[in-house]
Amino acid sequence: MKTYHDIATDGGSDVVGQVEAQSDRLAGRLAAVRRIVAVMSGKGGVGKSTVAVNLAAALAHTGARVGIVDGDINGPSLGRMAGVLEAPIRRKGAGVLPAETSAGVRVMSMDLFLADETAPVVWDAPSQTDGAAWRGLREAGALRELIADTEWGELDVLLVDLPPGSDRLPTLAGVVPRIDGALVVTIPSAVSMSVVGRSVRLMQEHLHVPSVGLIENMGAYVCPHCGEADDLFPSGSVDALARGLGVRVVARIPFDPAIGMAADEGRSFPQDHPERPAAKAFFNLANDVQSMMDQL
Amino acid sequence: MKFLCVECDEAMALVDTRGPDRGSMTVVFVCPSCERRTAMLTNASETQVVRSLGVKIGGRTVEAEPMEGIRSGLAGARPAAGEGHGAPEHAEASHSAGPEPGHGGDGSPSDGTSKCPFTGMVNEAFEADAVSWSDAARTRMEKIPSYARSMVMKGVEEFAREEGVDEVTVDVLDRARGQLGM
Repeated sequence: MKTYHDIATDGGSDVVGQVEAQSDRLAGRLAAVRRIVAVMSGKGGVGKSTVAVNLAAALAHTGARVGIVDGDINGPSLGRMAGVLEAPIRRKGAGVLPAETSAGVRVMSMDLFLADETAPVVWDAPSQTDGAAWRGLREAGALRELIADTEWGELDVLLVDLPPGSDRLPTLAGVVPRIDGALVVTIPSAVSMSVVGRSVRLMQEHLHVPSVGLIENMGAYVCPHCGEADDLFPSGSVDALARGLGVRVVARIPFDPAIGMAADEGRSFPQDHPERPAAKAFFNLANDVQSMMDQL
Repeated sequence: MKFLCVECDEAMALVDTRGPDRGSMTVVFVCPSCERRTAMLTNASETQVVRSLGVKIGGRTVEAEPMEGIRSGLAGARPAAGEGHGAPEHAEASHSAGPEPGHGGDGSPSDGTSKCPFTGMVNEAFEADAVSWSDAARTRMEKIPSYARSMVMKGVEEFAREEGVDEVTVDVLDRARGQLGM
């Protein structure tokens, strides 16, 4: 008796053909995108989206053409943080136009499709409590559409801001044809670093992402009056993690209350406060990422 | 998923789609050799999986619209001017990839039907004969083990339709319990 693999046809359902067409559409869109870089952590609350949105602004400041997609389908935040919450969805050609920040960053997020800022992401379904079988498919499909159906134009880099969870990068890897690099954000706490270490090993051992860099976030506080930096965690711990994993620490972003305030107001922190140590760290990170992308 | 006629050892071919019936779809396959027919019947969760993949069983007749899955699947999407619920405004006067003339934004005919019988079935399956649930009744249902819940809910919804009510409340549940021997 024949087995599944002995039968070439799908009997006319054309499911495989349509999934291939979805992939082709995505590949066509990404042909104009030079590099795809994931900003991720594995751990929640370490400032991934804050880093992503400010890195995007700093990259745009250097003249790069930058797009950023909010990979957090259920808890989008880039609409507010990038200051594009009210941007309309407008169609152009076979896609929709991204929102654009004052810094010139092109943004796409579920935020732009929701009725208001506190509206939950709820998919039409017979029951919301029995969604284990299909919710992941919905989320992966939404991420694919946010990337494939946005008229990004030509981009030097597309940043993908991923939500917490070490499973998120494999999901992205299943959606896009390539991931050129990953920036992994951590705070220097033991709890955060153990989760982050797991994420980095996952991408090294199973996903083979070509370039990985660690970003230490909120490790120190720089006094705005005297300029002296005080560590908020034991110093050197992120360096030790990086050595153990064989990756580089590509940035150390000090804690600055103005970063959070700028995010709440949808303003670009590096543009507003270019003289602050944290802004300088973002500009240095942008230069590092540019070099990283050139070397790939 | 593929279907095999065991007697003929031949792959079966999709020949018909039927429904919708309260979230369930019927897909009929035929053996090209002996013409034996068999039907695949999906439950609501299985239908939802197909819907979540963003595919149309039986094939598409028009190309997918941009953000189609988000626009058609997201409950309470932001209303936008132009094409209606959650649809994008047009940034240009004309575009090459718009809906076919006489069709809605999801590529289906403007009369609400679909060119692809299965496409329409997937979407309509969630709209036809819908019976809503009050919060209290739904909460009570959550005490039932998940493997049996959808079957029980289906029975209660059937009871509600027969009673001519369009919302299952705790009161309806109590009456159904007596009637259905739950």
